[in-house]
Amino acid sequence: MDDLNEHIELLEKKANLSKGIDDIQKTIDLLVTARAKVAAEPETAPMTLAKLQGPVEKSFDTAMNDLKKIYSGLGKYSKALDKKFKDKPLPTAENDALSSHPSLINRAIAMHLLREGQFSVASTFIEEANAHPPHPEPTPGTPNPYLEEAWEKDLVSGTFNSKQLQQQFAEMYHILHELRQQKNLAPAIAWARERSAVLEARGSNLEFELCQLQFVCLFSDGGMTDSDADGPLRAWAYARSEFGPFQHRYAREVQQLMGAMAYWQNIADSPYRRYFYNDSAWEEVATSFTREFCSLLGLSADSPLYIAATAGAIALPTLLKLQNIMKEKRTEWTTQNELPVEIPLPPSYHFHSIFVCPVSKEQSTDQNPPMMMPCGHVIAQESLDKLSKGARFKCPYCPGESHPRDAKKVFL
Amino acid sequence: MAELTTTKLNAESHLLLDQPLLRIPFELSRKNMKTAQRYVERERDQILALLQSTAKDSLNSSSSSSSSSSSDSNLTLESLDSMISRMQGLKRKLEGLHEEEMRIHRASRARIAHLQDLFDVQSLVDVKYDEWSRIRLSRLLVDYLLRSDYSSSAAYLAAEKGIEDLVDVDAFVQCHKIEKSLREGHRTNEALAWCAENRQNLKKAGSALEFELRLQQYIELVRQGNTGGGYGSGGGDVGKLREATGHAKRYLASSGDMELLGRAAGLLAFEIGTEVEPYKSLYSDSRWDHLAHLFLTTHHTLYSLPSRPLLHIALSAGLSALKTPSCHSAYTSSSANASSSTTTVCPICSTELNELARNVPYAHHTKSIVENDPVVLPNGRIYGRERLNSYNEKVGTERGWVRDPVEGVGGERWREEQVRKVFIS
Repeated sequence: MDDLNEHIELLEKKANLSKGIDDIQKTIDLLVTARAKVAAEPETAPMTLAKLQGPVEKSFDTAMNDLKKIYSGLGKYSKALDKKFKDKPLPTAENDALSSHPSLINRAIAMHLLREGQFSVASTFIEEANAHPPHPEPTPGTPNPYLEEAWEKDLVSGTFNSKQLQQQFAEMYHILHELRQQKNLAPAIAWARERSAVLEARGSNLEFELCQLQFVCLFSDGGMTDSDADGPLRAWAYARSEFGPFQHRYAREVQQLMGAMAYWQNIADSPYRRYFYNDSAWEEVATSFTREFCSLLGLSADSPLYIAATAGAIALPTLLKLQNIMKEKRTEWTTQNELPVEIPLPPSYHFHSIFVCPVSKEQSTDQNPPMMMPCGHVIAQESLDKLSKGARFKCPYCPGESHPRDAKKVFL
Repeated sequence: MAELTTTKLNAESHLLLDQPLLRIPFELSRKNMKTAQRYVERERDQILALLQSTAKDSLNSSSSSSSSSSSDSNLTLESLDSMISRMQGLKRKLEGLHEEEMRIHRASRARIAHLQDLFDVQSLVDVKYDEWSRIRLSRLLVDYLLRSDYSSSAAYLAAEKGIEDLVDVDAFVQCHKIEKSLREGHRTNEALAWCAENRQNLKKAGSALEFELRLQQYIELVRQGNTGGGYGSGGGDVGKLREATGHAKRYLASSGDMELLGRAAGLLAFEIGTEVEPYKSLYSDSRWDHLAHLFLTTHHTLYSLPSRPLLHIALSAGLSALKTPSCHSAYTSSSANASSSTTTVCPICSTELNELARNVPYAHHTKSIVENDPVVLPNGRIYGRERLNSYNEKVGTERGWVRDPVEGVGGERWREEQVRKVFIS
């Protein structure tokens, strides 16, 4: 990178057109002086003009020479670029399954923009995309892109409900803004309360966490070292009116908060310190709010487009290596459904549990699900069938024997 | 054996998607420089010639007679004035190019700095990598939008994200203007002007674009010539046909492709509505689409742009790397679903990408990846013990009982003893 930077610097500082422009100005000066002379002494005109030819030609040549310097500067930069990208061919999209579904990509982009809060970009985009719907191109994976299914027509025909989605995300950003910038919990609490039952069924503590933070806020508001008990009293009143529904499920936490009341004059040294001096509390509620909000819409918390594009960039070097090897050996990969190499990704990019049968080394699928034998070991259905041949058999991992009908389908 | 996971970032090999980032500004500055060179050369020839003839005239007039010397000197002054104004025009043009040149270099520098940022990040789980990758996604999106000719959205997004220096909105807008002039306007002049600007590079690449454009011009001339009168009726415009022949001699004959020349000559004899091949397809309007497409591919090759949007390349790789058989399974996955707050929705299962990912292969794994201490519920669902406990604690399941996070509080509950350990290797 430093190498490239040096070349650019050279082009910026030295090998640019400013010199050439100076040369041209000099030529203009020559002409202007000559013109003045001819105007003043018309009889010298032939002489002046004859004398002018040499310098003008020379000055043009200097200009051309200065341009050549730019040319060579660019040439060197180009070589440096070639060197930098020598082993990095432009990736060819041989397995491009996407060109056949441009409207799906457009929908994904529209949703990405909305969830990132780029509402005006999103609406410009949706307008442009509706005015010029994309043309699907056939690819080897999906040779017949014209058989569009109903969901693909969503965006094309403008029935993709961006308005509703936009409203939802606008609400999310409004609540987040109030939380983060204004430290105002009210909109978030109102949102959570409306969905109380759903959130509870999901095992989400969001509503209680928000209310707890509200309690802490009221408590600390009056100033903790002050003898003024205004804050704690208001917190107490808040707890009495709002914590009722939490009594059962969060009995312990509510007790703790109430216990803190006793220490209201010196919370910092009390055992309840952690509730009241938690700097990350706001960020934590904001994150868990975002996650719950997206989950209720059936969406992942982070933009899938972001995760997929990043994972793709991480995967590309491995895929490129594979492509080169396959080209060298002139083979093609035979399993269309599965990538032929393992792609190392950071752990945060693993979302589902993966079951690879220890016998066949194949990943489980709906057709070949994982089966648990009575001993608790798990192998794939096909391996089970092969090992048992329908009769009692020994588990390949322990001495346990069982009948295949005792094996149980499990879900990861 | 390859490692299952990695957090190490190798910046050097990570730059596969980023070559066009530096190539485009380089090609643009080369083109800029060539234009400057052409201007200077042209003016040099003209000015020198003019100067020579003026000197000659002035010498002749002064030696012949002095009667009209004042008008002669006026002539000399006039021609000097025109030279000066020509030169000033040249200077203005060069100044414009210089401005453009500096803008391009500034962009290049910003791009190099952006790539350099990646070299300062060591790990894929670093927050800095996250930031960098988000900028990259915006770049890829802008590239996609520009290629799809959604240029307002592209410019808007670039401005919102503050990455104008990292994307080439203008270059693509120009490109689409020419493409449209072919596809919709059925005009060749814009594309031919572009060919003239890039002649050397096109020649080096052995591009057929210019020839195809000239052939189209010929076809259009013949079309005009054959309008209004059928074969034999003599109603055609012979002048146009003659012009067409001249055009062919000038631009097409040098190709040496005798077969094509034969076909082109044959076209003269066929009227527009002919059903005879290959003349029917030569007259066909679909040739314009072909030209537009050819122009796009030529343009992209010249600027080292991959033929497919970078976003497609990144996404196809990413979808496969992330996809698991569970993503399109008929059964709810225990480990990633929307039904409980202990799991996050997998990006492939999320509405945005689910259908797109249907046709890509899923990732290859050689080892199971499961949570620590897996246990199985009587309904066959497997969970990490810790997650199962924390869920049940959160929903307030009665002591000694467990519920399945996927089924929720309304689902069945079991005694804790019914939860069994399961062995997954």
